[in-house]
Amino acid sequence: MELALVQSNAKLYLPEPARIVKVRNFTEHEKFFQIELLRKGSLGHDPGQFVEVSILGIGEAPISIASPPDSGNRFDLCARAVGDVTKKLFTFKKNDLIYIRGPFGHGFDDKIFQRMRGKHLLFIAGGIGYFPLRSLINQVIPNAKNYKKISILYGCKTSQDRMFPDELKKIHHLSVGSNVELLETLDHPEADWTGNVGVITTLIPKIDFDPAETIAIIVGPPIMYKFVLTSLMDKHMPKENIYMSLERRMKCGVGKCGHCQMEGVYVCQKGPVFNYADVEHNEELF
Amino acid sequence: MLLKTTKTALLKGIDQVLSTYQVAALTKQDSRVLYNYVKTSHDIFWGCRPTVLPPKKFFFPPHETLLDYTADGQIIAKIESKPLVLFGIHPCDLRGIQILDEAFADLHGDPNYLERREKAIIIGLDCHQTCDQDSFCYKVGAHYAKTGYDIMLYPLKDDQYLVEVATDRGNVFAEQFLRAIKGEEKELEEYQQAKAKAFESLKPFKDLEKFPELFQENTHHPVWEHEGARCLSCGSCVMVCPTCYCFNVTDDWELNMRAGKRQRHWDACMLHDFTTVATGENFRPTATARLHHRINRKFNYLMKKHGQSVCVGCGRCVRACLADISPKTIAEAINGEDEKEWN
Repeated sequence: MELALVQSNAKLYLPEPARIVKVRNFTEHEKFFQIELLRKGSLGHDPGQFVEVSILGIGEAPISIASPPDSGNRFDLCARAVGDVTKKLFTFKKNDLIYIRGPFGHGFDDKIFQRMRGKHLLFIAGGIGYFPLRSLINQVIPNAKNYKKISILYGCKTSQDRMFPDELKKIHHLSVGSNVELLETLDHPEADWTGNVGVITTLIPKIDFDPAETIAIIVGPPIMYKFVLTSLMDKHMPKENIYMSLERRMKCGVGKCGHCQMEGVYVCQKGPVFNYADVEHNEELF
Repeated sequence: MLLKTTKTALLKGIDQVLSTYQVAALTKQDSRVLYNYVKTSHDIFWGCRPTVLPPKKFFFPPHETLLDYTADGQIIAKIESKPLVLFGIHPCDLRGIQILDEAFADLHGDPNYLERREKAIIIGLDCHQTCDQDSFCYKVGAHYAKTGYDIMLYPLKDDQYLVEVATDRGNVFAEQFLRAIKGEEKELEEYQQAKAKAFESLKPFKDLEKFPELFQENTHHPVWEHEGARCLSCGSCVMVCPTCYCFNVTDDWELNMRAGKRQRHWDACMLHDFTTVATGENFRPTATARLHHRINRKFNYLMKKHGQSVCVGCGRCVRACLADISPKTIAEAINGEDEKEWN
């Protein structure tokens, strides 16, 4: 048996109040929210984990944490307005209250950090896949000396869809004379775009990396994974060197409600961050 | 501890119990048998007949409030629970309760389920034969209850019952409410021998213990498409299943907009939009994929976790299915027991 039986947790479904302390618009459909728990404590998360965001009377939605763990008592959430909760959230202003449960799921834990140390980190982000990855990127960039190299590949549809453009600019500046590099591509660029054109996989051949010494971290829309994985396999990347975050429909966040279960795997428990070698045979995940 | 009693003493005991506890048992309504609360011991149906819904509804109701809140942000986690005696639960349903106990206590203890469960005393009633042609408890060994009860009753001749008291809680309860004499182990042995004989020709699934591997290897077996093509995606099989526990969560404001509730409702992985996310992607878009998922939960994914078949063979889904889809048919195709050409 693989069960880990525990006592009842009275607060399992009880969210705690939190205040929106900053709001920033990226596009018509994507926004940034900085959040502070009313208890003024830290959320205590790992990069890659998520929270259930509640709006009373509307519901709950799982949203990735977009800031690194060491951001004091505040944390960042970024969302695209597509569902009931996110659409309502978009009407919220600074100082409005939301409710939070979590952090939940398996993120980039100490074990993964141990594995990443001294390695070449290859981030591959598509569109708003940058949101969850930002929690890890902003954690490793200030400590870039701990890694052989940090390469960030970022692909979007148009230049309007580039999230955190100011932070991207900073990373571009930083990359001069350092071991950090950022390569971007657009599917449908405007006339003034001087960077790469094409889907995210067109950036992979531009990176010089030793597959055995590289850890790849992928987050993007569901369609992206298959193509990126094929490109990495062509480069003979070991499967256990690939991590990815896979989001699914989640209601409870605690492995009960069944919505996120893909084959035998509860994404809210074993994921959202997975090692490819652990799940490569899971046909429902890919 | 083994005791012996009579139906008359049991009836009397239950009437006494009713002054302190709610009692739920099998009851007959028109032609159907249902688990329901009883007012007197005479409401109890003593026969061996399958109920429409399993007893999970007493611990995991079809709809329940998780949170009560007000517009100004007062939130209260809510649990409605009362002391309950569940009387006359048959072995398949005892197995179902055991599996739900484990599922709701796994990793994060679900407060609502566990509090109701904690307040319940479960009295089992053994079956010495199958209840109808749709049940296949013997195929998964669920015609024997190993655990999951406080007290177990074994029917003997002339309205007499052997009473196995299995827990401390059961012991306190039996002392308080049950007039009984000491039971003889020999009588239980004789009962078990007669039961074994009645089930002698009813064999378990071939290779049952290897089901997780067999189902994993047979993801693309033609039986999935064959049965999935007929599935109407109505979700009835899930509603009546003693070991299905998926749920949805919704928020509702009261009309005055001053207060609201967060509620959970039974949900079904067989429904089309069960895995659909807000962007419209559906990760299990076909009836075949959903049927494959549900049956694999029973014989593969969760069987690995619980160490036993999570389908208890009660046959409720078979009776409820408008398209005559049965986990038994599928399992016998996967393990080759049916010797049928599915291609």
